[in-house]
Amino acid sequence: MEWYWAFLFLLGLIVSMMALGMPVAFAFLSTNILGWLYFNGWNLDVLPQVVDNSTVLISRFTLGPVPMFIMMGSLFFHTGLAIRVFDGLEVLFGRLPGRLCFLTVAGGSIFSTLTGSSMANTAMLGSLMVPEMQRRGYSRRMSMGPILGTGGLAMIIPPSALGVLLASVANIDVGKLLIAGFIPGFTLALLYAGMIILQLWLLPGSAPAYDVERTSWGEKARVVATNILPMSFVIFMVIGFIIFGWATPTEAAAIGVMSVMILAAAYRRLTREAIFVAVDATLKVGAMVFFILMNSTVFSQLLAFSGASQGMLEWVTGFEVHRLTILFAMFCVLLLLGMFMDATSMMLITVPIFFPLAQTLGFDLIWFGLFVLITIEMAGTTPPFGLLLYVMMGVAPKGTTLMHVASAAAPFLLCDTVLILILVAFPPLALWLPSLM
Amino acid sequence: MGGVIRAYNLLINLLRFLAGVVVFGIFVLICVDVLLRILGGYVGMQPWTYSVPVVEYGLLWFAMLAAPYLVRIKGHVFIEAVTSIVPPRVQWVMAKLSYLGCIVASCIFAWYSWGVLLEAMLRGTLDIRAEEIPLWYLILPMPLCFALVAVEFGRYLIGIDSMYGDRTEVRENV
Repeated sequence: MEWYWAFLFLLGLIVSMMALGMPVAFAFLSTNILGWLYFNGWNLDVLPQVVDNSTVLISRFTLGPVPMFIMMGSLFFHTGLAIRVFDGLEVLFGRLPGRLCFLTVAGGSIFSTLTGSSMANTAMLGSLMVPEMQRRGYSRRMSMGPILGTGGLAMIIPPSALGVLLASVANIDVGKLLIAGFIPGFTLALLYAGMIILQLWLLPGSAPAYDVERTSWGEKARVVATNILPMSFVIFMVIGFIIFGWATPTEAAAIGVMSVMILAAAYRRLTREAIFVAVDATLKVGAMVFFILMNSTVFSQLLAFSGASQGMLEWVTGFEVHRLTILFAMFCVLLLLGMFMDATSMMLITVPIFFPLAQTLGFDLIWFGLFVLITIEMAGTTPPFGLLLYVMMGVAPKGTTLMHVASAAAPFLLCDTVLILILVAFPPLALWLPSLM
Repeated sequence: MGGVIRAYNLLINLLRFLAGVVVFGIFVLICVDVLLRILGGYVGMQPWTYSVPVVEYGLLWFAMLAAPYLVRIKGHVFIEAVTSIVPPRVQWVMAKLSYLGCIVASCIFAWYSWGVLLEAMLRGTLDIRAEEIPLWYLILPMPLCFALVAVEFGRYLIGIDSMYGDRTEVRENV
């Protein structure tokens, strides 16, 4: 069979099963069974091999950070540590115009260094900030946009559960990909802050100023010392340990969970209930992601076995176009998929095709991994099915439509695009820190 | 019949509990391993050589043990781009086809993983990782869990419950 028929057959199978409403993991599972049988002449003897292969990726030590980062983030939220960070920042920001927007970006960036889930981050920021912003007369655009932008930072800034998944599936260094997101993540936070300033300048009434109780410098220092600085302990235990090579990402993730527990215990907020909730959240999210991952790996092997991957690779590289044109095409495909799929699914479908292509085109795979993460983050805020949009709708006041949320997110998508352009022009922004490892 | 259902529900919850124990155990094991590596020399203890393969096996076990519970709580992500725009009658047919597909796929996996498990046990196949471990330890939860996943989809198929809720409902994800 020609590679393009094989490609269309496999892609058609999986897309039609997903369109039918089958859970993504089972769409992969069914496609694998049908695909392997078809390409082996309907010989049932291939099925034990399919079962055997499906156990390979999810029983890798490098995937350990995924459940650990989910547990860490959940503990961080359920022990009340997240609220303490917010309370601390609120005192620091004083009477700054549009302070709640800046508070969102600063709080969201710190949360991103402590949690690995963008959905948890967006939900947390949304439920905390939207009601307060509405009460203070902020426009919908100003109240939801910064949250949508900042919520997605958790995918880029380490620890990122999605980053671990991507690195494991694409067979690149987990630690390097995680660390590569550090500087670009904070650059993006700065771009968001710049966008807020621009919006405030263009529409001054969209974030009205209000009186805030004055706080002395001594009080500010005390709040920073008690509420914000201790969090650097957790950040160091995870990011520092990876950068200095003292622990593998899996070990650093487990140490991160332990650090959050120690910190919560120090604040007397570590309860049995918080631990149970965190473990339960890990089960729900982690097991679901692992189940998809288990089946998507066999799908990648199927693409390779059928000749579709190689054929696609030769076909694309046969065009005499600049590699950035192909990069742009991949960017568009990811954005398009993100309109209909969740981050994990789109990533797992595209990785077996995009990563070999990127390698052939001479892109650094750590750089390319980060590019994919940023694009997936953008895709999460594109209508009609961007998951972060729905998270926001879930916490926004009644009457908020998808259009309101999507238009609030648009300026922040522009910032993401600017970051990608910066990374294209200046790759060391992402690659400098990993080069030190 | 009521007793069977209660026992079945108990089994699903027991597996969920075990999955929780496994994932928390992974966390504890890694921490102990790191501590022993750093401090073990001072107290004459070495890290356990089996910790890496145990963590690796634990990752598969936790995903498998939680699988039936995940189907029960509608915890899987699916794409609603098409199902949300078709008339209710078509939606119903699509849902039933989808459940049926999941049941067939899960049964195939349950059956063949049982075969792989038996063969690994009878032949004494070893899985070579950081340490050699009998392969059947890895496969052990798969036949039962896939069979239970098929039963859970069967509940949806016969109409006890529906997997598809409100379109704007958000499922947790990374």
